[in-house]
Amino acid sequence: MIEVENLSKRYGDKTVVDGLNFTVRPAMVTGFLGPNGAGKSTTMRMIAGLDIPTSGQVLIEGQHYRNAIAPMAQLGMLLDAKAVHPARSPRNHLLALARTNGIGTKRVEEVITQVGLHDVANKRVGGFSLGMGQRLGVATALLGDPAVVVLDEPVNGLDPGGVLWMRNTLAALAKEGRTVFVSSHLMSEMALIAERLVVIGRGKLIADTSLDELIALSSTSTVTVRTPDAARLRDLILGPGISVSSDTADVLSVRGATAEHIGTLAWQSNVPVYELSSQHGSLEEAFMTLTHDAVDYRASGVAE
Amino acid sequence: MSTGTTEYPYPRGLGVTTVRVWRSEWTKFRSLRHLGWTLFSSAGLLIAIGFVSTLLTARDYAGASPEATVGFEPVGTALAGVSFAQLATGALGVLLITGEYSSGTIGPSLTAVPSRLPVLWAKLAVILSMVLTVSCGAALVAFFTGQVLLSGNDLGVSLTAPGALRAVVGSGVSMSLAAVIGLGVGVLLRNSAAAISVCVGLFFVLPPLVSALPSSIGSPLSRYMPSNAGAAIYGIDADSSSSSLSPGAGLAVLCCEAALVIGAAAYRLRRGDV
Repeated sequence: MIEVENLSKRYGDKTVVDGLNFTVRPAMVTGFLGPNGAGKSTTMRMIAGLDIPTSGQVLIEGQHYRNAIAPMAQLGMLLDAKAVHPARSPRNHLLALARTNGIGTKRVEEVITQVGLHDVANKRVGGFSLGMGQRLGVATALLGDPAVVVLDEPVNGLDPGGVLWMRNTLAALAKEGRTVFVSSHLMSEMALIAERLVVIGRGKLIADTSLDELIALSSTSTVTVRTPDAARLRDLILGPGISVSSDTADVLSVRGATAEHIGTLAWQSNVPVYELSSQHGSLEEAFMTLTHDAVDYRASGVAE
Repeated sequence: MSTGTTEYPYPRGLGVTTVRVWRSEWTKFRSLRHLGWTLFSSAGLLIAIGFVSTLLTARDYAGASPEATVGFEPVGTALAGVSFAQLATGALGVLLITGEYSSGTIGPSLTAVPSRLPVLWAKLAVILSMVLTVSCGAALVAFFTGQVLLSGNDLGVSLTAPGALRAVVGSGVSMSLAAVIGLGVGVLLRNSAAAISVCVGLFFVLPPLVSALPSSIGSPLSRYMPSNAGAAIYGIDADSSSSSLSPGAGLAVLCCEAALVIGAAAYRLRRGDV
């Protein structure tokens, strides 16, 4: 379990993380979302004890990480896949880290096999692709068989096979009872991986909820109707809380009413309907709605 | 799925200990070839400069009368390379830590040892033991090579000559302390180029600058410059009127300076963001 309590980080007069409070629970994958510059990486660095909070604290398994007796058994971290000396081999990199906590060479070989780096274990890391770096990063995080696994953008740079592998790995880790906390800017990927979500924007907590709740909460579903009698159906549908828009003459986009409701209305009034479909809100849409006011870097005239 | 029902079991017997971090740092050291090269190039510099220096002296003194060689210092001539070799060991100290910052390995390293300071102590232990062993060995080789070259002129001395053994060990010690200062400067500045520049400044630029001060301030201060304090440890002082420190005082001063830099480094490492 990770407990983040009133966590703040200021650099000079710029507040990067601003009074965050949330808990990441064991036995499930929790996604960490936020636009660029929201403070995700800084928060993760404070969880790892690399950056010192200006105020507030982080507890890993109920204690301050700095005081952990066997740190690598508590927390496994992947912050930067390129954080390996380019002249070192994966085996030596893992071995050097393993030794600090008294982890044996057998475990080093285990994680090398687990992430599929066996054939390149003695090669220089400098020649690795980003995807291979990510695998080594995951191996580093898993080395101590940790209770809490924190990964910053782990799918970044992975090929489709690698993405699938990562998805399965994270699910397996959660199933084993571990706390898994994963940041990503790929919302679609998050929707597949995470059970719960923590969303931040401009260093502040925006949402700490389950995936389904978040989508339901912040995105509206739209029902599209194609009918030759659009004007009549429009009048029939319109009511309190229901809005209808139309881009083409025979297509209506309805918000605030279900497909069942519209279908029944049309049938009762003998309006022919050629097409009736409902589009559910996506995590992407929910994310855009939530963080609309908290985006630091927006491309002008593109994102809304 | 189930929430908070599973307590993940901790593996037994794991934990950070001084010896374990020391072994980890040793693994890091031996898995980067350029660190070994830097270490052996410092040994090579010491031996090569001593060799050339004694060779030229031996040629100069060939057939000279005994009066002409009064004041000649055979030990110091053979160990003429210490000041340059010191720079190489200083650079080694720098690279030991700045390589972690430039590659980002410092992140995983300090996540594995969140109390941080054991990593610094382990690096200190590794560099002290390695540099002390290699540079004492190199100083011994430089000494014997030099004495063999000088023996043709009957100028060579044995290791039992007054101050000879102290000069050999002192060379190793002052090269090791230079490496420690390099490590500390590396932790403070985190950047190879900046830290090596500062070390060059400390050992080569600052002493002549201080000497250029009015002698009332310059000469007492000059003795405490790291390079001059180091020279006091390994130097055979033929000129008794010299203002340099005694070997013991030189050792104490250089140790204090190294401790000061390492203390500042420990403070920065412990308190700051990585």
